[in-house]
Amino acid sequence: MSLLERDLSAPGSWSGSLPVTSRYSYGLAGERFFRAIKDEGRLYGTHCPKCHRTYVPATSFCERCLSELNEWIDVGLAGEVHTFTLLYVNLDGTPRQTPEIVAFIHIEDGGLVHRISEIQPEELEIGHKVEAVLKPQAERSGSILDIRYFKPVHRQE
Amino acid sequence: MTSKIKMFPGTPLSEEDFTEGNVLFNVDQMRGDFAWDTGVAIGAYLAALKEGMLLGARCATCRRTVVPPRLVCEWCFRPMVDYVPLQDTGTVNTFSLCYVTWDVQRIKEPEIPAVIEIDGASPLHGIMHKIGEVEPEKVHIGMRVKAVWRPPSDRVGAITDILHFKPIEEV
Repeated sequence: MSLLERDLSAPGSWSGSLPVTSRYSYGLAGERFFRAIKDEGRLYGTHCPKCHRTYVPATSFCERCLSELNEWIDVGLAGEVHTFTLLYVNLDGTPRQTPEIVAFIHIEDGGLVHRISEIQPEELEIGHKVEAVLKPQAERSGSILDIRYFKPVHRQE
Repeated sequence: MTSKIKMFPGTPLSEEDFTEGNVLFNVDQMRGDFAWDTGVAIGAYLAALKEGMLLGARCATCRRTVVPPRLVCEWCFRPMVDYVPLQDTGTVNTFSLCYVTWDVQRIKEPEIPAVIEIDGASPLHGIMHKIGEVEPEKVHIGMRVKAVWRPPSDRVGAITDILHFKPIEEV
């Protein structure tokens, strides 16, 4: 029997699904970072005085000199679009009519990957100033999705 | 070694820390869907199971019949061209009494996975399946068993079309 003689009525493939679940706690710095989003509606970074860098999201250690970081600073809610992409496909693979904009938003020396909204995709440029739009405090759960999206900051006339 | 360490560095978390909301966390479920191509030999094997038959493959050179069937004889690397129907009876080669399920739940009545040498296949050639309809303490190596099939309408072309193997009543 060769490959060409394959019984086409036989089961062609065996399908299954692996149950994969995960529970991720954010760690010491992550805990404080997300608590601040939840309770205060603020973004915090940690500053390394030796390297003159401010990490966002906040980290416990400087990734450059490995020293412990204790200087927590409020970095505000605004950042700058570092790069972005337009998604025409949903998570489940179904097509989207209007694209979702996902960007890396530069804040201090770090940044966040998040959605951008309240702007037409063709108007968005790298370098655009954006700011976080938070959920009302009652709805926040201590997740990155407590930030609904980032919206463009319009220059003061 | 580790028994001497009283305090491990780090921040230990208990189940209560999660349930009582002491820490923030993220729960996720990834989709691990897969489809595995059955290929020629296993495809034929599964199709035969649906018909209520165990299929083997024979290597004429090595004079050996294997189950499940495969395309190439792993002894002489020649193609295995003859597919042969086998009996649905066999002999227990080895077995285990298993008191946990696949997802590590304790069970009172053990599952009895076993390797069963199928009649018609060469000696020491067989498949792994469950043994049922028997007192666990009565299972032994060398026990004669027979397949218990699902009703034809319920068969889908899977190894579970055989529910389990049960002992053959010695007459």
